[in-house]
Amino acid sequence: MSATATITMSALPSKSTIKLAPAQSHAEASSSQAQNQPPKSQKQMTKTERREQQERQRAAKAATKAAGPQPGGSNQNSAQVKKGAPPAASTSASVKKGGKGPDGKPTKDTKETTSDDSARGLRIFSHFGLPKPPGPSKGDIHPAIIRLGLQFSEFKIVGANARCIATLTAFKTVIQDYVTPPNNTLSRHLLTHLSPQITHLVSARPMSVTMGNAIRELKLEISGSDIDLPEQDAKNLLCQKIDDYISERITIADQVIQETAGTKIKDGDVILTYARSSVVEQVLVGAWDDGKQFSVVVVDSRPMLEGKKLLSVLSAMGIPCTYLLLPSIGSVITEVSTVLVGAHSLHSNGAVFSRAGTALVAMMAKQHSVPVVVCCETYKFAETIQLDSFTKNELAPAGDIFSSFPLTRSRDTLTLNKQLNLEILNPLYDLTPPSSITAVVTEVGVIPPSSISSIPLALGRTTL
Amino acid sequence: MPGLATTEANTSASAFSMVSFDICETYASFLKNEELSPPLAAILALSKLIETSDAGTMLELVKALNDGAGALKASTSNPISLNAGCELFIAFVTLLPHDSASFSDLKLELVRQGQKYAAEALTYRDKIASLALGFIKDDSVILTHSYSRVVMKTLLRAHERKRISVYVTEARPRGLGLRTYEELTAAGIPCTVVLDSAVSYVMDKVDFVLVGSEAVVESGGLINAVGSNQIAIIAQAANIPFYALAESYKFHRLFPLSQYDLPTHTSNILSFPLSSGGNVTSPPTAGGIKFFHEKSTNAGCIRQMTPEQIACNPGVDYTRWEN
Repeated sequence: MSATATITMSALPSKSTIKLAPAQSHAEASSSQAQNQPPKSQKQMTKTERREQQERQRAAKAATKAAGPQPGGSNQNSAQVKKGAPPAASTSASVKKGGKGPDGKPTKDTKETTSDDSARGLRIFSHFGLPKPPGPSKGDIHPAIIRLGLQFSEFKIVGANARCIATLTAFKTVIQDYVTPPNNTLSRHLLTHLSPQITHLVSARPMSVTMGNAIRELKLEISGSDIDLPEQDAKNLLCQKIDDYISERITIADQVIQETAGTKIKDGDVILTYARSSVVEQVLVGAWDDGKQFSVVVVDSRPMLEGKKLLSVLSAMGIPCTYLLLPSIGSVITEVSTVLVGAHSLHSNGAVFSRAGTALVAMMAKQHSVPVVVCCETYKFAETIQLDSFTKNELAPAGDIFSSFPLTRSRDTLTLNKQLNLEILNPLYDLTPPSSITAVVTEVGVIPPSSISSIPLALGRTTL
Repeated sequence: MPGLATTEANTSASAFSMVSFDICETYASFLKNEELSPPLAAILALSKLIETSDAGTMLELVKALNDGAGALKASTSNPISLNAGCELFIAFVTLLPHDSASFSDLKLELVRQGQKYAAEALTYRDKIASLALGFIKDDSVILTHSYSRVVMKTLLRAHERKRISVYVTEARPRGLGLRTYEELTAAGIPCTVVLDSAVSYVMDKVDFVLVGSEAVVESGGLINAVGSNQIAIIAQAANIPFYALAESYKFHRLFPLSQYDLPTHTSNILSFPLSSGGNVTSPPTAGGIKFFHEKSTNAGCIRQMTPEQIACNPGVDYTRWEN
């Protein structure tokens, strides 16, 4: 009795036998065979028989579990579908909706086994942190943080610098609204007060390296704050420190990078950039304002299509621009004089963690002897070592929800939806190996990627 | 390579400098000492500037130094190594922790330190020579490029205890390799001049390559007489070690992204001549020589290989078909 996967919206009354996906048909066939023999101990069974037993036990457990909380489960699932939620749940929910006919139990079994199947399919990327709506907030989360969490989860605020600045600004509000409970000191209690806020933000979207570094600095400042200071003064001091951090390590750093990288742009150059980096945008605008004559090639990729915004900013200034998608970069790379990209984070082994697609651009450029310059502030340095794009990454939500430009077709038709046996995987970041990078421009100078770990020493710091 | 300020540049440079003190002339006079390389001469010239300066505050002094350095840079067409020396000294001046009683005391201290540094720097070549001895085995065949004082010292030092033979490239257009040939032969070291184009022919006969440097840049790369990159690439392809000798004051904060990102690169270099007869700015050959050309102290003599030396060199070579 072979099985085919048939899930249709119009519920045909399914047979009482379990209908499984083709991958499991083999197990099904052999398990029926095993039933004819007396049960063996685990050691006596062959590997396939052990696996089948495991499958059967798992299916049975899932069936009993579904029997209980089924009504509650379906409500939750349909609610999630409305929010455009994780692929696995939505597949099972749509199955459920279709299968909810008069025969409750068999279709329920079908749903369980297929959701098992799809969950198994995505399992190897499950550590990427699927985008999800922020859950119910535990403890009292400040409204500014709630707003920020929502903005993060809906990708309204994108980009390492933007997220860090937004986080720090929100924390300033939190600190100002904070009141030290009696018999407690600000330096100790504020940290515990901030922890759930940070957790809430992380649950909305995994923390970026920039946010991590900034929050670590903030915690250091808080724990070092003077006990004898009156509360309002201490809070004002903290807010001042936050402002200084933003100004010194982001705003002014960006200005220095703009000047330094600007010297690398000469008249007649063709600069290629990828997606949208706030620093690279500043560099190009600054160089144009200085009167240099150059042209820009903006390379973009789906689903985020962030390059469109950069294109509009540059064209509004009058810079001659070319816009193309990532797959066609091979046709233009020979015309390019320099590649300028931004970074999400830089690692101690010299690797650059940046928007997915940057590695392709850098490697292509290196092949054609085009220098690749990464513009990055020092606060983006992570002391970790990253060797591949796989161990740590994030998934973009499915669908082209980021483009605010008018579309020629309705958004739904452009969106690729999850289907049976089709998982949509959109990692947000990738890793560019140090061999593909020519130089990294930071506010302390131009450095080769291999020297990144020497920067804190040069700054006179013991840590980043 | 050492360069003299041309007379035209001198008059324009004096506009920048103090009334009685002409930094370019001072620099030129220091350069007359064969032992001093451009960065050292620049450091001495800047020390002299401090001596004769009437600045009253640190800010004024640093400004005067920067103006002087700017004037020096403008006076020569290859300012890279000179720049390294200037920046080193100016950074030293700004960062020196001082507890001097008065500003004039501080100035004296700075001048003293500058001169002390230059004097000590003259011993660097000897130190490098003794360190490099460990890399030179007995009966080595060495390939070197053009003329470098530090390489000369090293080779002469090695010759005292070991047997070496040297191939030196001609290093057109100025033919400085022939100067190396003359000096090595005078010391008794067997030496042969190799055409710049015959480096790949000779590479398999060589044990290692030894070159000097004009500057070591932030990317870890080397700036040296034109042709060094080609030799390095060939050496790497043939798995021959390539050693560069550089004094510490030649380290520079420059980071060139490519050949065309060097400060010495102008739009003239390797440009095609304009087709119309009217507006030709300068034919490429003249532009090329303008790039390399710095009048040397011995009145711009350009050496050429003798017919016998040319006869020692191959006429054709063999390109392998390999991936």
